[in-house]
Amino acid sequence: MEHDAKQPGTEHGIHLPAPTSSPFVCAFGVTLIFTGIVTIWSVSIIGFIVALAGAIRWWREGLPDNIHQLVPFQEDRVTIEPRPGAVAHLMIPGGTHRARIPVEIHPYGAGAIGGLVGGIAMAVIALIYGLIAEGSPWYTVNILAATVLPSLGQEDPAQLAQWHTWGFILGIIIHVSMSIMIGLLYGVVLPMIAKGRILFGAFFVPLLWSGLAWGSLRVVNPVLNDHVDWTWFIISQIVFGAICGFIVTRSERIGTMQNWSTLERLGIESPGVPSIGGDEE
Amino acid sequence: MTTLPQPGHADGQGAFRAPFLSRMHEWIATADHKKLGVMYVTTGLIFFLIGGLEATMMRWQLAVPGNTILSPEDFNRLFTMHGTTMVFLVGMPILLGVANYFVPLQIGARDLAFPRLNAFGFWLFLFGGLLLYFSYFGAQGLYGMGSAPDVGWFAYAPLTERTYSRGHSTDYWILGLLVSSFGSIATGINLITTILTMRCRGMTLMKMPLLVWLMLIDAILIMIAMPPLAAAQVMLLFDRLMGAHFFDPQGGGSAVLWQNLFWFFGHPEVYILILPAFAYVSEIIPVFCRKVIFGYPLMVAATVSIGFISLGVWVHHMFALGLSPMVNTIFMGSTFLIAIPTGIKMFNWVGTMFGGKIRFDTPMLFSTGFLAMFLIGGLTGVMLATVPFDWQVSDSYFVVGHFHYVLFGGLVFSIFAAIYYWFPKVTGKMLSEKLGKCQFWLLFIGFNLTFGPMHVSGMLGMPRRIYTYHADRGWELWNMLSSIGVLIQIAGVLFFAWNVFRSLRSGKDAGADPWDAWTLEWSTTSPPPEYNFEEEPVVHSRRPLWDLKHPEDPDWKYE
Repeated sequence: MEHDAKQPGTEHGIHLPAPTSSPFVCAFGVTLIFTGIVTIWSVSIIGFIVALAGAIRWWREGLPDNIHQLVPFQEDRVTIEPRPGAVAHLMIPGGTHRARIPVEIHPYGAGAIGGLVGGIAMAVIALIYGLIAEGSPWYTVNILAATVLPSLGQEDPAQLAQWHTWGFILGIIIHVSMSIMIGLLYGVVLPMIAKGRILFGAFFVPLLWSGLAWGSLRVVNPVLNDHVDWTWFIISQIVFGAICGFIVTRSERIGTMQNWSTLERLGIESPGVPSIGGDEE
Repeated sequence: MTTLPQPGHADGQGAFRAPFLSRMHEWIATADHKKLGVMYVTTGLIFFLIGGLEATMMRWQLAVPGNTILSPEDFNRLFTMHGTTMVFLVGMPILLGVANYFVPLQIGARDLAFPRLNAFGFWLFLFGGLLLYFSYFGAQGLYGMGSAPDVGWFAYAPLTERTYSRGHSTDYWILGLLVSSFGSIATGINLITTILTMRCRGMTLMKMPLLVWLMLIDAILIMIAMPPLAAAQVMLLFDRLMGAHFFDPQGGGSAVLWQNLFWFFGHPEVYILILPAFAYVSEIIPVFCRKVIFGYPLMVAATVSIGFISLGVWVHHMFALGLSPMVNTIFMGSTFLIAIPTGIKMFNWVGTMFGGKIRFDTPMLFSTGFLAMFLIGGLTGVMLATVPFDWQVSDSYFVVGHFHYVLFGGLVFSIFAAIYYWFPKVTGKMLSEKLGKCQFWLLFIGFNLTFGPMHVSGMLGMPRRIYTYHADRGWELWNMLSSIGVLIQIAGVLFFAWNVFRSLRSGKDAGADPWDAWTLEWSTTSPPPEYNFEEEPVVHSRRPLWDLKHPEDPDWKYE
């Protein structure tokens, strides 16, 4: 920022619109006009006269030229001093100190794979629970499908332990899509956690999610809520979180494209264009 | 050009202390955007106390079942006046006041484009508010019927028709808001013209501070949303006073027409109120995280999108009306859609905080509180946008809890953030950090204790607007908690009042730039002179003061 030449005025001050009570008078008159509607009509008449007087005075102040006042310059002035070196710079690979952080992230593929593997482990735990609790691997599959198939939620445990084709298909779709989505979220969020990523992925997120599910399912679908064993639910969530988090954090980090040129981002390689990643050829 | 001597300056060297009447005249006759801004905000805060008192009385009544402190009629008047006051006489003046004060300063201008129209707008707003409150005396005294309006802040037809609302209480509601809304429209015109035509050299649209961008969109929304309300109010006045039947179903009119017209104003109004909240935190968070705002172009795009989409969601207030499934589905979709730009903003604020060197001074504390509370309000908003869920909780305390998380947790928290941030610029004095932090925690705890349990009582079936309830409904605990929360909030507001009073009397001098900030208002004295800048600023980036303070590493190289 710099300062331009002085604005219209003099060496001693600036011309600004002069104070005037016309807007006040005019607004008061307008209000009286409306007040008369709910009181006595004569109030409206008075309001009209007051508003007109204010408006005429206002016009006269503005025509042919606005009335101004000369405001003298204040003695206090602000000087902004340069402060070189007052700010510590981030040490970022690539020689720049300006970047959006994180500058390196885990590839999205790692999140998707982590979600899928975690989802398989979670499914194994759920199937084991189904076998132990109801003697059937389909019990937990059907409970999951019941979140979108209300008719399944109405069935008793014995019926839920049986094979349902639509329950199986929907259960698989829900489980796989949710696992991949949560895995992708792990891939995006974990690089942003400064410390304790495994703890965050394996315990914090699963417990938070379990708490939300526990709190909302009893309101959203109380019948289904009765079929869920929350201890096993939490164990399966923690297993998912631990495996997904482990796979994501073990993956090799890649730089974001924030400092790449448009040509680099488009993947164009030709003489004179820096190669992908910024190394000059 | 005619030039008058400046009052209050004896010799051009400095001001002497003018007599009380002269000082009163100085404020009444002022056309200075800063004085008008202060008057807007002060008036808004006074109405905030009045609206808060009304809420306290309602919570006192509802604290225990079967209470008889208030009559049903008084309770109806209180919730009507509380809602009307908070929306029209607190939110609107404060947002217009802050814009009045800081938009010209941030764009390097000397005043708004039409200074006298600005004064006219303020006085219309104030007289409109006074006319509304005069109903407590006028409607009763002259006709012996009714008192303050009692038809809810949305004044649904046909309850507002003469058959059901005798006397003049509803007329006062119409006329008070009509006068007030003319003032808002005048200020909207002023803001748009100022922002589009009076920016200093170098300040292209994409170099404007986010506050200016958000107030531009806000003013456009005011211009679009306010006239339909004014038109509907005039039509209602015709119904009541001249025998028309616009909203009278028995006379061939349509009560649904009122709902459409009112909410075509009413939902954009929510965004008119919340966009300035976004503006304040968008200014505060970067300064207290020592980082530029994350994703400025996307923040601008999200603002424009919110402004656009907010004009097409009003029917979600009418899901329980019995409209066709197609209409409900379309408006459910558009309401979901608005969560996207709003979500972008939330992520960008968090992105700005991420990796920053955060200073949790009071403005930042309130901004962080805003993020958390507005997130909850936004999420319950998404729940309410789902038609089947809305049918279950429509007109229940769940809705009351939801919109208080948006408008109190969102708007009021951000207003306090803005006051703590800009008070030093306006007065030249710092507010006490210690008292500010006490206020924040009291307000934060009290707010959550008041409005959190409302979601539960709403889910348990408690309808809004009831003046009492039986003891066998399971609502006792939640209502008692809500009422206790109000007491804690009152303590927080008292801390604020004491803080302002003490700081004005003996606060620490602020200096020009107490927060080491980057926008133009911090390059002039605190408080700024009447002419704002002795010389017109020229800017090269979105952070002109950063460029001046760090010439070795200016922003314009990277924008």
